[in-house]
Amino acid sequence: MPNREIDIAYRVKYLSILDQEGQIDQELDPHLPGELLLKFYRAMVLARRFDERMLILQRQGKIGTFAPIKGQEAQIGAAAALLPEDWIVPSFREAPVELWRGKPMERMLLYYSGYSEGGRIQEGLNMLPVSVPVGSQMTHAVGIALGMQYRDQKSVAATFFGDGATSQGDFHEALNFASVYRLPVIFLCQNNHWAISLPRSRQTNSATLAQKAIAYDMPGVQVDGNDVLAVYCAVKEAAKRCRAGDGPTLIEMVTYRLSMHTTADDPKKYRTEQEVAEWEKRDPITRFEKYLTERQILGEGQIRATAEEIKTQIASAESRWQEIMAKGIDPLDMFDHAYAELTPSLLDQKEIVARELEEKK
Amino acid sequence: MPVEFKLPDLGEGIHEGEVIEVLVKAGDQVEDGQTALVIETDKATAEVPCPVTGTVLDIRVKPGQTVRVGEVLIVFSKQGEKEQKLAPPPGTYEEEKGPGEKKEEIKAAEAAESQKPAPTPVGLVAAAPSTRRLARELGIDIAKVHPSGPGDRVTPEDVRAFAEKKPGPEAKKEPIPEPAPITAEPVPPPGVLGSEERIALRSVRRATAKRVAAAWATIPHVTHMDVADLTALDAFRRRHKERVQAQGADLSLMVFVIKAAAAALKQFPYFNSSLDMESGEIILKHYRNIGFAMDTDRGLLVPVIRNVDCKSILELALAFKEVSEKTRKGQATNEDLSGGTFTITNVGPMGGTGITPIINHPEAAILGMARARLQPVVIGDINDFEIAPRLMLPLSITFDHRILDGAQAARFLNVIKAQLEEPETLLMMS
Repeated sequence: MPNREIDIAYRVKYLSILDQEGQIDQELDPHLPGELLLKFYRAMVLARRFDERMLILQRQGKIGTFAPIKGQEAQIGAAAALLPEDWIVPSFREAPVELWRGKPMERMLLYYSGYSEGGRIQEGLNMLPVSVPVGSQMTHAVGIALGMQYRDQKSVAATFFGDGATSQGDFHEALNFASVYRLPVIFLCQNNHWAISLPRSRQTNSATLAQKAIAYDMPGVQVDGNDVLAVYCAVKEAAKRCRAGDGPTLIEMVTYRLSMHTTADDPKKYRTEQEVAEWEKRDPITRFEKYLTERQILGEGQIRATAEEIKTQIASAESRWQEIMAKGIDPLDMFDHAYAELTPSLLDQKEIVARELEEKK
Repeated sequence: MPVEFKLPDLGEGIHEGEVIEVLVKAGDQVEDGQTALVIETDKATAEVPCPVTGTVLDIRVKPGQTVRVGEVLIVFSKQGEKEQKLAPPPGTYEEEKGPGEKKEEIKAAEAAESQKPAPTPVGLVAAAPSTRRLARELGIDIAKVHPSGPGDRVTPEDVRAFAEKKPGPEAKKEPIPEPAPITAEPVPPPGVLGSEERIALRSVRRATAKRVAAAWATIPHVTHMDVADLTALDAFRRRHKERVQAQGADLSLMVFVIKAAAAALKQFPYFNSSLDMESGEIILKHYRNIGFAMDTDRGLLVPVIRNVDCKSILELALAFKEVSEKTRKGQATNEDLSGGTFTITNVGPMGGTGITPIINHPEAAILGMARARLQPVVIGDINDFEIAPRLMLPLSITFDHRILDGAQAARFLNVIKAQLEEPETLLMMS
């Protein structure tokens, strides 16, 4: 009986292009056009400002609980590296990605006001709604990818999840299935270091989350998740592999949630302000703004103009949201978007609700 | 149309919160999103923003007040709309608004409050609900079961083993009394017997109520009393009074008692400790910060003098004067009012022949002083004595019986007494 070691050729790559001081690695610079860089910048600032505004609206009692994204804006790099026909399967902390894809802010506000209509994705956006149960969405992305493969499409399904989700069974099922079938899936783990109040150190004993890919024999990459360029490049490469039929990739984006898990918790109770201050130094927007300013792609005037523009943009989205709310929404709508065809029991329920609404009139 | 801003559900399923700070006042021009209030709920402390851009018409809440979701907090008028004067709703707040309490002080008192670890009720037992149920079914008081599980958890095996040793009915005897409720007292019916008035329990009063109730319910208090002969000390004090006054301080009796207590605390470290019931440890503190209870306009406050054992009598007199004046003027900071390891309370200026103070949790003991009076004192023995007028100070030391015993308290108080009776020793010790 042989008793020997099996050699597994494997390593986990780490990628960082723009450091926290805004200095770029000359060799790794993807040389993206200035126009695209400005688009990145604007998208990240919009995401930050919208997030701040949502927090105020929540505290005013105008919207319900939501998961702030502050500090994780560089995720837009992932969406930017994909094509419009690729599918995005988010969890609940991907507002920047949703905005990048073109989901209207009023829809997002509607969703957090408790209207299911807000979760509806317009035709052609190729994105699933927010998925609140942790980890549940990864298998959906695998299913979408299986469908693409079956239809001989060259598109990609990219799914987002947090560090906490890697401890869910669904994560391993999804990775396993995607790898066995060499499906075009990009697993995007937003390691923001805190699963509500559970620190990354208690989440897993693995040195990286990216190395979880090893067991499924797929590439695992760790990137500086606060570096929009690194995120962009890593996802671009993973998408290339997907399209070439080389199967899935797991990307761990190392980032930090600067705000609360959701508006219902108080991070001061479980982490130190010092830790937060350390991560504030690595803010994705600050370093990118510095980089763009130093390269003279962005000027003082433009920074101010962008801020003003975004303020107006958010305010007008808010008034559109208010209009929709004031107009009211047909309650029967809730039956119409989960299934292409209603099941008999849902059909019954829809009739009952319709009847009751009629009686109330 | 004025906008009534009601407390939203700040978390998931939050019903109420406590107003910590009010950051706007009537007449303020505010912006939509500007922070108006800081509210603490069970889950989080949240900044609550103004809902509109406009003017603050009326503020219906005060710091320290508990507000329920849906309750009106502030009334605003929206920008561009005519301002309206609002009649205050009947009976929602007191008639007189006054200048309001000093915000800093309330914060300090409450911060001091929040820094204290939650009191561990007497007889609190770690056990799973199923284990508790088993104990109930077997008629066993779970508090009596010796825990063998991790973290002193009572396991079902412990309960069964206990049940075998002691049959149910016997185990039922002598139940450990339930801890006194700390917060919820039954509310008496509204004034059916005559006119009554309801005063909101707020700020310092509220903090005091919570603190003393928690200490009383948690700590088995014992008080030991004695009387110290201050005649010599008083003469000493008079001799040096002016010299200290020239330095800008007062050589009061309190200063000597602090000095004496500092030395006693050094000699008896358990009087300068805290009990951590959760870990089953006594924490001996290697620093000695003495707080002294002060009756102020705003209620009972306990300013603290730090590192008393490292200060001379003059330094103590200066520190005492500084911190007590600050506190009296309402300028004491959170730091001035926290961090004590031992407390002295002196009711003497008001009178009294003896007191039984409540320990300032989580400290281990408190020293009480009543009024020093000239008393006829028998000096000598039964065969050879004289009766002389002496200045006698009643002292009491209340201690946590979980940490300390009566004999230690007697020795501790003897050390304080000896120093006060022979002022020279104050210079020798500590």
